[in-house]
Amino acid sequence: MSDRILSSSEEQGFRVVSVGGEVDLSWSPQLRKAILDALATKKPVAVNLAQVSYIDSSGIAALVEGFQQARGKNQRFALVAISSAVRAVLELARLDRVFPIYPTLADAGV
Amino acid sequence: MKAGQAAALSRDELGLLADFSEAIAVSLDIETTLREAVQRIAEHMGAEAAALFLVEGDQVVCRGSHGAVDIRGLTLPLGRGIVGRTLRENRIQLVPDVQADPDFAGNLVGDFIARSMVCAPLSTRDGPIGAMQLLNRVGGGIFDDHDADFLRLLAGPTALALNNARLVGELLEQNRIKREFELARQMQRELQPPRWHGFPVHGVNLPAREVSGDFYDYFALPDGRIGFFIGDVSGKGMDAAMLMVRASALLRLVGQDRLTPAQWLARVNRELCGSVGRGMFVCVLAGFYDPSTSIIHFASAGIPPALERHADGRSRVHGAGGPPLGILAEAGFEEARFPLAGGALYIWTDGLTDIRGADGQVIGTPGALALIESVQSLSPRARLRGLICQLRHQPLPDDTTLLLIADDASAPRLLAALSVHTDPCNLRLLRQTVCEVLGRFDCPASLRQRLVLALDEAAANVIRHAYAGDPEGRMSLTVHLESASLVFRLRDWAPRVDCDRIKPRNLDEMRPGGLGINLIDLVMDDWSFGVPEDGCGNLWIARKGLQWEDA
Repeated sequence: MSDRILSSSEEQGFRVVSVGGEVDLSWSPQLRKAILDALATKKPVAVNLAQVSYIDSSGIAALVEGFQQARGKNQRFALVAISSAVRAVLELARLDRVFPIYPTLADAGV
Repeated sequence: MKAGQAAALSRDELGLLADFSEAIAVSLDIETTLREAVQRIAEHMGAEAAALFLVEGDQVVCRGSHGAVDIRGLTLPLGRGIVGRTLRENRIQLVPDVQADPDFAGNLVGDFIARSMVCAPLSTRDGPIGAMQLLNRVGGGIFDDHDADFLRLLAGPTALALNNARLVGELLEQNRIKREFELARQMQRELQPPRWHGFPVHGVNLPAREVSGDFYDYFALPDGRIGFFIGDVSGKGMDAAMLMVRASALLRLVGQDRLTPAQWLARVNRELCGSVGRGMFVCVLAGFYDPSTSIIHFASAGIPPALERHADGRSRVHGAGGPPLGILAEAGFEEARFPLAGGALYIWTDGLTDIRGADGQVIGTPGALALIESVQSLSPRARLRGLICQLRHQPLPDDTTLLLIADDASAPRLLAALSVHTDPCNLRLLRQTVCEVLGRFDCPASLRQRLVLALDEAAANVIRHAYAGDPEGRMSLTVHLESASLVFRLRDWAPRVDCDRIKPRNLDEMRPGGLGINLIDLVMDDWSFGVPEDGCGNLWIARKGLQWEDA
């Protein structure tokens, strides 16, 4: 899909996974892999969800798995700049208070 | 005249009396006849001048005259002068010295000096309608009792003829107006749409007078929707009827142009603003009803709020206001859009709410609601008939028009159908389909997102669990409108799943999977698994009510 974004970069001490477009079963496995790869760098991980226009439970599951794995390793894991579409689903699943969520990467601070 | 004096009439006088009575009795042109009669009487009775005055409103006007000066058209205030006294006393006045008479109004015309006068009232059953006056005997001398009696004799048939002419004139005018009204009424009847069996739009118009300023119409559009409008023209009578015909024709024409209701009213408004007379305007509510979705979409210009009555008995009032048409060319109009979903929409002109109840107060919207509620058990057509029956027992202060759009929810309506392979890439297409259907029902954005998510989760479960990720499987989605709910049916042709294993998980547990059922649970009113009719595969059925505000 042309509006899909999935990239990783180093920014402000974080390994940042940037996601965009409609996250559903058709490529949430790729998101899961990108998050797990980022965690493997042992750096603090931030997932930027600003450009996500839709996310289903398989996409949320990838975030939950990343969060749980990071917590097990005492590694930082944050969601950054979440879009309204992401926030709506997190609220519905009562996960909005579970994830560390920050407006910007600078707010997350290393 | 006393019986003994009758013999004193000369042969000439008897001839004049006979000719005069006959002439005015058969006259078709009463004015000409009177003018000639006044002249003949004056000449015969040897008067320098004669005049015939008629009461017209609060004055008397000269309508027949003979003498040196034609005083026809001369006007006196009612009650003034010797003419005034004649009318007041309804008795003949013989005045030997006019100048010395206390009621003499003065010499009104040129240098004519009034000396002697005889003035007779034109009496009818309803009092005097005028007076006939003779002035100055030719060659001097004064009028005497004989002259007075003779003038009284002439005044009788004159009054009778004038009164008849007046009544005939009034009758002719009434007939003319009646003919015009009949024509206008016929035009109105021809403008009203025909009744089609089984058609969901029904209308009725009860005129308060001969011609109604109210109108309504409906028509089928090529895309299956039905256009409708109801209107109320300011004012009464022929002007209003003509404006009504024009507005109704314009609305019907512009209504076929695939505009939104607000654009529809705006265009008709611009047309009317350029041509409607000052102080005249038209209140209109116009819209579309789509029988395939039950969606009503309308805009209003000065019509009272429309009443939506749900199938379950609840009701809701829809304003969608804007100014009446024909006043402000740049006016904008609000729209309302909602599914009737087995309910009905009642629209009425202000005549209905202006009816007075037993307490003398206007019944207003609550009274109109009560009236409508009292006929709910009937079929739509019978409901209108029932309302008419109740309204006919009340004095209508204004034209009353009712339009009823009744949605028949007995047959489920298919809104969308989609059949795809179980490739996860097809989920996007499924989401788009659901999103488009919800858009038609004006579903709020946040709820739309959730419903799309729930459908996506259900389909993702089919892919992952029923087909274990096989992208070559098949699944189909249908969306129906049933009663006041959207019903989603998702079926597959995979091996039967164990329904008991499909349960929502505890949301407080933090684990990656199993969220989908929770999301569906949170969004849908209810959902269940069934077996498709052909006994093959799985069928998931979910329901969501259309009362978004309750969501």
